[in-house]
Amino acid sequence: MKKEGEAKVEKGRDVYYKTEGIVVGAPAPKTVDGPRDYPRYNFESRVLLWFANQQHLYYGSFVLAVPIFCMVIEFMGVVTKDKAMAKRYDQLAYDFIKISLTAYSLTAILGGILIFTFLTLYPAFFGYLSGIFRPVMHIYALMFVAESGTLYIYYYGWDKMRDGFLKWIHLSMSVILNVIGTLLMFLANSWIGFMMSPAGVDEQGRYLGNIWHVIHTALWNPLNVHRILGNMAFGGGVVAAYAAYKFLASKTDEDRAHYDWMGYIAMALGVAFLIPLPFAGYWLMREVYAYRQQMGITLMGGLLAWLFIIQATMIGILFLSTNYYLWQALGRMRGAEKYQRYIKYLVFVLCCGYLVFITPHTIVMTPAELKAMGGQQHPVLGNYGVMSAKNGGINVIITTTILSFVWYMRGNKVSTVSWSKFGNIFMGVFFACAYVNIIWLAIYGYYIPANVRVGLSVPQVATTLSCLFFMFPLNAAMMKGAKQMGAIEWGKISVRSQYALIMLATAFTWMMGLMGYIRSSVRLFWHVNEIMRDNSPWAYTHTVGFAANMISFNVLFFWVSILFVFWLGSLGMKKAPVEAKAGVPGGAPQPAGGH
Amino acid sequence: MGDLAKEAITIGWPLFALIACLFVYSVVSIKDGAAKKRSLFKLLIGTGCAFLLMLAIAHYKGSFYEANRMLPVSLVLITTTCFMMGIYFPNHAALFKIGGFMFLVAAGLSGYGNWLPQVEGGFPPAEVKLDFQSMSSQQLADEGEKIIFGGIGKNKEQGAVGKGQCPLCHAFHAGMLGERAPNLQGLPGRAGKERLEDPKYSKGKAAARDFAQKEAFPGSGTAENGQEYIAESHACPSCYVVAGYGVKGTNDKESPMPAIHKPPISLSLEELAAVDTWLYLREGVDAPTYEEMIKSYEKFVPEADRPKKQEEKAGGGGGDLLADGTETVDQIFQKAQCVACHTIPGIPGAKGTIGPALEEGTNAPLRMKDKDYKGSAKTVPDYIMESIVAPSVYVVKPFPDNTMPKIFGQKLSAGAIKKIVDYLSQVKTGSPPPKIS
Repeated sequence: MKKEGEAKVEKGRDVYYKTEGIVVGAPAPKTVDGPRDYPRYNFESRVLLWFANQQHLYYGSFVLAVPIFCMVIEFMGVVTKDKAMAKRYDQLAYDFIKISLTAYSLTAILGGILIFTFLTLYPAFFGYLSGIFRPVMHIYALMFVAESGTLYIYYYGWDKMRDGFLKWIHLSMSVILNVIGTLLMFLANSWIGFMMSPAGVDEQGRYLGNIWHVIHTALWNPLNVHRILGNMAFGGGVVAAYAAYKFLASKTDEDRAHYDWMGYIAMALGVAFLIPLPFAGYWLMREVYAYRQQMGITLMGGLLAWLFIIQATMIGILFLSTNYYLWQALGRMRGAEKYQRYIKYLVFVLCCGYLVFITPHTIVMTPAELKAMGGQQHPVLGNYGVMSAKNGGINVIITTTILSFVWYMRGNKVSTVSWSKFGNIFMGVFFACAYVNIIWLAIYGYYIPANVRVGLSVPQVATTLSCLFFMFPLNAAMMKGAKQMGAIEWGKISVRSQYALIMLATAFTWMMGLMGYIRSSVRLFWHVNEIMRDNSPWAYTHTVGFAANMISFNVLFFWVSILFVFWLGSLGMKKAPVEAKAGVPGGAPQPAGGH
Repeated sequence: MGDLAKEAITIGWPLFALIACLFVYSVVSIKDGAAKKRSLFKLLIGTGCAFLLMLAIAHYKGSFYEANRMLPVSLVLITTTCFMMGIYFPNHAALFKIGGFMFLVAAGLSGYGNWLPQVEGGFPPAEVKLDFQSMSSQQLADEGEKIIFGGIGKNKEQGAVGKGQCPLCHAFHAGMLGERAPNLQGLPGRAGKERLEDPKYSKGKAAARDFAQKEAFPGSGTAENGQEYIAESHACPSCYVVAGYGVKGTNDKESPMPAIHKPPISLSLEELAAVDTWLYLREGVDAPTYEEMIKSYEKFVPEADRPKKQEEKAGGGGGDLLADGTETVDQIFQKAQCVACHTIPGIPGAKGTIGPALEEGTNAPLRMKDKDYKGSAKTVPDYIMESIVAPSVYVVKPFPDNTMPKIFGQKLSAGAIKKIVDYLSQVKTGSPPPKIS
């Protein structure tokens, strides 16, 4: 007999963690196409949500990335002994945060628009998600308040906390600001992680009471890392484009010098995060495959494979633009002429790496295309695009970019350390061995089975990272106290180089849109993968062409609006102190990266 | 081109009106001859740019939903506009040039995306009621082949994948691609011998197994014959993993294959029986009876985990549809009997005259402008959608109202309607009919 007060406890099994838990939530709703579950305007709801989401993400990424830049630049200003330089860094950090402040309000507005769009067009789906994430959403809202408060104190307290101990407190606030911002992003990532790889619910989608399981899904961590790096690269691109715009619009040499320098720093910071980005991407893909092999295949060898061909092209464009900018930047450095004649070899190496990187191995085709080609692999190209070779291609590109940076950092200098000869030889041999190792492994991959071949990415990536983590510090050590062969003539960089920066920014923006689309559409006809089915009329995947058009629209809308934000920011832009600017051309300001 | 120009003017008339006002202002107010000349010249350039911009917007708007690879042309038009403006308005040249460059980059990338082969992911497979129990072995095998490869006779086609998604990882013929999972050729012969006799399989001693899972569910035990082995492999892939095909890093203890009766694939026991029947019959081997196969699955799939039969599934009802969207557009027209009443260019047999000819690329814009039109559609696709779902909203003269049934909104799936809309939007009077897809 049932005792009084004894409630029936139903247990469920976590779809991912396989643990048992008490069912505390309702099952995922089984939606039907109609005004109750999918109310709509006279337009495709999915496209509207796509637009609202993408714009919010662009601004969100920007306002999360810029404070990290500010923190780095402000810190450089605090530790720099040269007082004029310290002021310039401080001013630059202030200018950045000012731009970010206007964008911050827009981010919040766009967030509101996103929620309204979601609520009005997908009420059943939103209801289900908010039911599960209720506690997270509250924490998110509180953290947003904390982020806003910290940002305002950080910005408005800039002048009051300019010197001494207060400056350190101000700097610490930027650290707090970034910690809050990063946690905010992690929480937002938990929602998309749940939609892709749900956990913490049973097979019917009923919440089992463990919020950590819901947050800590299979893809949460790789998504977090990938997004931090992506945001930083994107933020760098946006600020670099801003600097390029100001450079091109400048009327005086002084202004040109200032914005040339600003563009260089933003680019260097952005690219510093671009370099590890492909590795984070590989990790994410690896986790996707580990979570659901079919999901990985849909991405890399199935329905969405062509989008990855576009992605490969974009990565190539990003690195080619970066290298082009660096080579142009060598032109404004007296004494760097000795490197110019080697650039053609770097171009050759980059092009070879790029061509290998974008060559597909197996692709999705119609039966007619298959018949015409005589198989799933192209008779000639099919022999080339295996994974280890592609990895080889991208690693060659990244290593060459590192080499370009090293050349740039030593462009107008001659090392004076006693072991400089040994250091140069060591660096030369190190890079040569790195190239040989990467290329050899790329070729070796053809002679071993596919499942073993995949493992070659580890030594290839390790080689590239070795160049990054050993050669930069070694070069910096060699260049300490180096003899200056000529000045860096800030502002004398070619106009073409500024278009490279704009290219970089546009390509970053486009690639973010592309990757977001890929990540989202891999769920195919699921709102929450395998838990809640999409029964709207838009439960199909768009063509590559439509997606490309939509991404372009989003990118251009973002840029038109951010140019407006820049203009707003320029209305009250604080002018840099005259004495600081006076020393710019030939004053050898020290750009980021230990130059 | 004429239509496009007209549309551009319709959209952009306020801008053109503004330019006209500026023109009048320049003529009336500017006294200095050189300044007036300069101003008028700039206005001329501005008019050209405004026209290009509106042309681009009209082009973009008209092509948004169509599979139109010329869409990036809009972006190139805007690029040209920006550069022209940059040349003649030097104060803002940097902004225009940067804007133009960005539009050019976006146009290039959009163009690239449109140039690549266009693959559209279909709708989720429709759930159709089938009575597997009363099928002959060959009929069962045919259904099995459809589930594996998406159609009868498709088993030798590289890339053919059906609802079961098996060929994503498995190969079924010697020499075919399939590096992620064992080639299933010869499985019926292999299952009851090599596999069950493999000491690692631990036949009859589930507890002795050294795999991620020892049993499909507590008490299920191990397979006793070939069919049971196949059933167990589907229901519990990690109960036994063929050497070399485990999840990386697990030393072949765990299989990457999902349990096939669970999401995302969720095949019912009846469908799994059909799949297995095909595996036997295609090798010329007699398949166990349908009942034996169902029993083998019941051994490894607990009752609570068994996917509901088709008729019990919520949100089903695909069986009532005339077309579910997986067909080609000509088949949809045939199934919905559109061809009986309408003439549709490019559709075989569509010569009907009871309703108007469906050349909607040309007709729809004119009808939306008709004073008698009371619908809410603003675009060609919306007009077609409205005509299908609510045909009485606007009736083309001189055809009578209430001739066309009002059931198509319920009897055609959203995917089928989209295919009709896509096709009819592209049918234009005097132009060759679009491709059937």
